[in-house]
Amino acid sequence: MGNDSPGKKPIIKLTAVSKTYHLGEETVKAIQDVSLEVYKKDYISILGASGSGKSTLMYLIGLLETPSQGKIFLNNKNIAQLTDTQLSELRNETVGFVFQSFNLINKFTVLENVLLPTKYAKTKLKFNPLSKAKKLLKEFGIYDRKDFFPNKISGGQQQRVAIARAIIMNPEIILADEPTGNLDSKTGPEILSLLEKLHQQFHTTIIMVTHEKNIAQRAKRHIYIKDGQLTKKYL
Amino acid sequence: MKIKGNLNHLLNTAFSNFKRNKARTILTSLGIMIGVLSVVLLIALGVGLKNYLKEQFENLGANLIMIFPGSGFGDSEGGASGFGPGMMGGTDFDEKDVKNLQKIPEADYVVPVFFKSLTIEGGGEKFTGYVEASNEEIFEVMNLTPIAGRVFTKSDVQRKTKNAVLGYVIAENLFTEATRAVGKTIKISNQRFKVIGVIEKKGDRELDNSAVLPYKSTFGNLNPNKTFFTIYLGVNSEDNIETVKQKAEKILLKRYEKDEFSVTEQAEILSTVNQIFDIVNGILIAIGSISLVVGGIGIMNIMYATVTERTKEIGIRRAIGATQDDILFQFLSEAVVLSVSGGLLGLLLASLIVLAIRSFFPAAINLLAVTVAFFVSSIIGIFFGVFPARRAAKLTPLEAIRYE
Repeated sequence: MGNDSPGKKPIIKLTAVSKTYHLGEETVKAIQDVSLEVYKKDYISILGASGSGKSTLMYLIGLLETPSQGKIFLNNKNIAQLTDTQLSELRNETVGFVFQSFNLINKFTVLENVLLPTKYAKTKLKFNPLSKAKKLLKEFGIYDRKDFFPNKISGGQQQRVAIARAIIMNPEIILADEPTGNLDSKTGPEILSLLEKLHQQFHTTIIMVTHEKNIAQRAKRHIYIKDGQLTKKYL
Repeated sequence: MKIKGNLNHLLNTAFSNFKRNKARTILTSLGIMIGVLSVVLLIALGVGLKNYLKEQFENLGANLIMIFPGSGFGDSEGGASGFGPGMMGGTDFDEKDVKNLQKIPEADYVVPVFFKSLTIEGGGEKFTGYVEASNEEIFEVMNLTPIAGRVFTKSDVQRKTKNAVLGYVIAENLFTEATRAVGKTIKISNQRFKVIGVIEKKGDRELDNSAVLPYKSTFGNLNPNKTFFTIYLGVNSEDNIETVKQKAEKILLKRYEKDEFSVTEQAEILSTVNQIFDIVNGILIAIGSISLVVGGIGIMNIMYATVTERTKEIGIRRAIGATQDDILFQFLSEAVVLSVSGGLLGLLLASLIVLAIRSFFPAAINLLAVTVAFFVSSIIGIFFGVFPARRAAKLTPLEAIRYE
């Protein structure tokens, strides 16, 4: 919508995408007729109230959800034509998720959590997973927590672990769903700065879902969503 | 698919889950442990009993042909099989048969046996044992050597002496010390016999509990019909066994119908007994296997619970790139590890029990038991683990990750 840069090839392209859920008799249109292009080096915020469909939109972009109507292209591939295995592979290599509730696996240590995506790599890795994981933890200032279990460290630290896990496979896109939602006013901005640093350093595309206007404004491109539809501005 | 590289990760995941649910893990594998324990023990006892039987038969000496009443053993046309006096029907043999069979040149020994369970008194004690009435050749044919005194001779048989040779156990029971029986008197059905010798312990319940008497001495009171239950033929060479069998059959057919007697060699009896035994053992193992199935259902139950509990984890893994197969293998490997550790524990316990009872029961753990323990528990793990694992794999990533 709006600020799409012409002439560049989009990483992700949504054309007239709708997503409908069936809750018993009722049909809920979570996303209606959304078209969107995401380019390399983009830093996009999706702003919307709760229930606006912003998370569904993010999961569609992140290949965790398939559209009821319309098409989604990832690097020009129509994802409707991909098998579950191919989609999983794309999620593994192309997308990194950062969640509001961190979603770390509590029975694994910090280091094991960061390494987890590398266990599911289907092609030979171009880097040494262990040294890369350690390097990331050092950069994020949580190396001394590497043998801790996630429930023994603070929320800010957990979110750093989650970001390390999201980028260990060098994804093209980071999808962040309310990344500061569970953090206090001090750690929240720290996490955003960390994401922005990654964006600047590695030109990683960032798509961030939020309901907070001031957070959304930090992004370069803003998308507003209401009742499953994109709108010109935040209503 | 990159299973090998992920094996470490799969096992790591499995063990960290087991660590978190120790009691549950132990209880679940306990089911498989008990199942494998019972199956392995039954196999071990079966193998042990078979070995024991084989030894017993080999003790009888080689090149032995046995003639029984009825058409029981070695009858390829089938029919009811039985082993023991009175179980076979058919005829009893008499002295005339013995005389006729003695005409076979290749038969070195012709040993008629009359067998009866009786109370035997002596040394102020009573003992329920057996009377085995035969001729002097029985000692040679069955490898019976005296540890005290002597065995009876042909002349004992001819002169109908009231001499008895005792088995080890009966001698020990009546006279406290087996060797002290020699020279003492025993009473069988109000007839007195003098103990002239005691045979070494054979490990055969019947022989060790028998008083062996010259057969002619039992005619009358003990054996009023003057009949024999069995006639053993000792053949001079293994090559002649078939010839002697045919000749014996030809001789007996002159007096009896075909189905009134059977002529068999040891090997045939052993194989028949083994066949019956295998069937009984097989049925027992099948019954024991029920507990394995129950154990498997326990695993399935726990795995279903685990899948539900770990829905969120499955969602996270799917979000970061795990395929359906990755999830399937993860849960399947947990079920198999659970099952196989139970199986190996069962095997270990079975081995300990076998070691403990070995002194009085000839049980043995063989390769079959080990293989069965390992493979059966693996298969149980795979079979009962695959359904919960499939459920885990089929979860949609989004629903799983949103699961609270």
